[in-house]
Amino acid sequence: MLITLLNIFILLIAPFLMIGVIKKTKAFWAGRKGVSIFQPLWDCIRLMKKTSVYSKTTSWVFRVAPLIGFVSVLFASLFVPLANGEAVINLQFSFIIFAYVLGLGKFFALISALDTGSSFEGMGASREACFSTIVEPAFFIALASISALSQNYTFESFKYILSEAGIYGYLLIALMGVTLFIMLLIEGCRVPVDDPNTHLELTMIHEVMILDNSGIDLGIITWTAAIKMFLFEALIANLLIPLGLPIISTIALFLTIITILSIIVGTVESAIARFRMTHIFEFIFIMSLTALLILALVTYRLYGN
Amino acid sequence: MEYIILSIALLFLCAILNLFINENWKLKVSTFFVFVSSLFALVPSLKVLIFGTTLTPLMFNSPLFGTITFSMDVLSALFILIISILSSLAVLYSNEYLEPYLSKNRGIAFHCFFLMLLIAAMYGVVIARNGLFFLVIWEIMSLSSFFLVLFEGEKKETRKAGIKYLIYMHLSVIFLMTMFAILTNVAGSFDFSKYADVLIKNSQLANLVFILGFIGFGIKAGFVPFHNWLPEAHPAAPSHVSGMMSAVMIKTGIYGILRVLSMIGVPGKTLSYLVLAIAVITVLYGVLYAITQHDIKKLLAYSSIENIGIIGLGIGVGMLGMTYGNTLVSVLGFSGALLHVLNHSLFKGLMFLTAGSVYLKTHTRNIEFLGGLIKKMPYTGMMFILGSVAISGLPPFNGFISEILIYAGMLLGIPASEISLFIVLIISIAALALAGTMAMLCFSKATGITFLGESRTERVNNVISDVGITMLLPIGILAFCSLMIGLFPQYIIKLVLVPTMMFIDVEMMNDMFYSVVSLTQHLSWCFFIFLLILILVIALRLVINRKSKEYVTWGCGYDRPNAHMQYTPSSFDNLFVSTLKPLFKRVSHIKKPKDLFPKDAYFELEIEDIEEAYIVEPIIKLDEKILSKFERIQNGNMQQYILFGLIFLVVAIVGLILFGG
Repeated sequence: MLITLLNIFILLIAPFLMIGVIKKTKAFWAGRKGVSIFQPLWDCIRLMKKTSVYSKTTSWVFRVAPLIGFVSVLFASLFVPLANGEAVINLQFSFIIFAYVLGLGKFFALISALDTGSSFEGMGASREACFSTIVEPAFFIALASISALSQNYTFESFKYILSEAGIYGYLLIALMGVTLFIMLLIEGCRVPVDDPNTHLELTMIHEVMILDNSGIDLGIITWTAAIKMFLFEALIANLLIPLGLPIISTIALFLTIITILSIIVGTVESAIARFRMTHIFEFIFIMSLTALLILALVTYRLYGN
Repeated sequence: MEYIILSIALLFLCAILNLFINENWKLKVSTFFVFVSSLFALVPSLKVLIFGTTLTPLMFNSPLFGTITFSMDVLSALFILIISILSSLAVLYSNEYLEPYLSKNRGIAFHCFFLMLLIAAMYGVVIARNGLFFLVIWEIMSLSSFFLVLFEGEKKETRKAGIKYLIYMHLSVIFLMTMFAILTNVAGSFDFSKYADVLIKNSQLANLVFILGFIGFGIKAGFVPFHNWLPEAHPAAPSHVSGMMSAVMIKTGIYGILRVLSMIGVPGKTLSYLVLAIAVITVLYGVLYAITQHDIKKLLAYSSIENIGIIGLGIGVGMLGMTYGNTLVSVLGFSGALLHVLNHSLFKGLMFLTAGSVYLKTHTRNIEFLGGLIKKMPYTGMMFILGSVAISGLPPFNGFISEILIYAGMLLGIPASEISLFIVLIISIAALALAGTMAMLCFSKATGITFLGESRTERVNNVISDVGITMLLPIGILAFCSLMIGLFPQYIIKLVLVPTMMFIDVEMMNDMFYSVVSLTQHLSWCFFIFLLILILVIALRLVINRKSKEYVTWGCGYDRPNAHMQYTPSSFDNLFVSTLKPLFKRVSHIKKPKDLFPKDAYFELEIEDIEEAYIVEPIIKLDEKILSKFERIQNGNMQQYILFGLIFLVVAIVGLILFGG
């Protein structure tokens, strides 16, 4: 019971703190003092209280899309092992459900962007849709290869990498970590793929899709985005947490890894400028490459002898 | 069994009746007859599917065909179920859709006649068990659908599409004829059960027959590279016909492939890999071109190709399971494929019918001219969005269920096998995932550009109201069925699990069925949790309803936005298309602005089918080159033709005298 409450807290509130840590890190590298790590949470609460402005062009799709996005991310989180190392729903083939449910949220985000009739938002939708077509197969190749090792088709298969792959396990974990980290940057719309703080509409991807959302809708969308990014961090954390630790140290390790990952994201954002739009594809293809390397490694492990 | 024959007889009766009654009554009478006949077909097929029995075959003796057997086993029953549902809904829809064409001497009589004939022939195809008779019905089906495509035959492109369709169908018949000729020659009878006896013993013959059958039926189903007729015939036909063709008729191709597969026993390794490879190509090719289309029905036609590819993936996985003796993989693959057959009929029917409603109201199929339709046609718009979600395979709709079954089959097929299989399966998984996201891109474009945003032209502004209830009802039923299969897959899955019996050991059936049903059961629970959270969140959102106001869309401070500022379909897919440049042939028609005061200028981008441009057209050109040599013979001179006849007769008689003895 306590664990469940903790998980709910972690899922709903920790994403804001994660964004706060990222902001703090960026401020640190820029030599600023930066805002408190609770600021994203206050921002969201403030947004929730504000009046919404809706474009006359929009229909019900525009109003319902943020909610569906939010629910899809919440639902997807049920399949990801959180603090205690266990997913709420432990169903076989859950990584497929995870990907497709996130897809549902994305579909509604895309059509809600088109619903405003704005040229900017159409542009954002076009980019978002295009990038995800490259991300998805890589994700599936990586996950299918990993699950072939342990014949476990959930995210729990991460835990068996070491026991199943022996010495190659470390390499697999590293490759998987890189794959998921790139996916985190893409899905979480972080630099170098997308800059959440940019002010020019023409260079945005995700932010430009939500130009017309305001008030409570915008609050929900920022919350959704934070949780989504948090889920990918949680996946990476699951890679690194070994099996069979006591529950307290699992939780402690989980939170530490999340914090370290957020600091890494912040550092990457400070160190790299965002790529030109045409170069983003090359960056995403790195993910396909690592996924193929995972496939090659698993193939060698399974059939090498 | 008698009921289904009765239902076919009713359809024939109605076809004849249609030629004599008053024009205004034709559609209503046809609807009535189709509903009654569907009922007669639906009930026995459900009985067969639920109890897993085969009805006692009916046999007729005829001097020409030998014994004609009609039989309904579980595989036929599933297809009869689909045909009966879709045909009645499509005919109901046609009532209002064809209203503008009434009393304009447009040949409604012939349209109804061939419509009835098509439905009857589709029933016939799936229950006939006599090779020659099967071919005859197959031909009736192709020809009647050809005449249905030609409904608006005064348009040049419709005629072109119709003729292309006819040619492709006859290409298909050539392969099927060869197949049946070989089989009959070896088996000594036209009967399907005799074919099976022969094929089980002779694996080389089985391979040959399967390849011939796969090409022949594959042309009908629309597997790449035999798909070219689809994107032209579907847009040309009236919407209820294209709905029926895409949702049901191309599935008879799938039926044929499965029927041949059930006759040959366990397929060889090469065959299974071949099917899987073709399916992967079909999936990706279909969706890739679907993204680039601006003609909504052409887009849907390409998406049909994609979905046929998904069905093919399921069949391929099932065949691999058979080859490697992994029954669970087999069951998952085949049940996924069969469920996708059902699902695709539902949501593709839905999409074609909604596209038809759009066409009826706006008189255009080009989505560049549309936009903002959801305000004018709220119900149609909502159905289209639901259909898009379902067709992109997103939960909690039915498309997801069949896709996850196929994924499951692929994933479970991986262990305990060889390296080539491992790589092939992972590639197929990646292909299916890629197709899924591309379908999402494609349908977010179709929905967003057609129904959302601002209207781009007057065509939308002139729309006064949504379509009537007789058009909305069939669409609504299809959407409802799609959602229900998504939410309660554990009940529907039983209907498609029973037909997989044709391909696996009956002894192991129960265990396998149990594991598949329990998987869908869990999915169903998951989706209910999803719906629960969704309802909770929406309720919360309604409770904390903040004040809101309305203003124009953000345009960098410019507050007089107009519809032409929106993203167009070409610009929406441009990033994607330009990334994959080599895969498309882009033809642009440009008229540049000239002079100091430029007047008219335009730019039009067309994306041509690369397979047609680089493979089919060169073949046709070569053909023309060779055949033009024979032009001299066909010179229109009657005397010469009589001379040719005479020469032929003389040669034939001399030949007979010399070699006949």
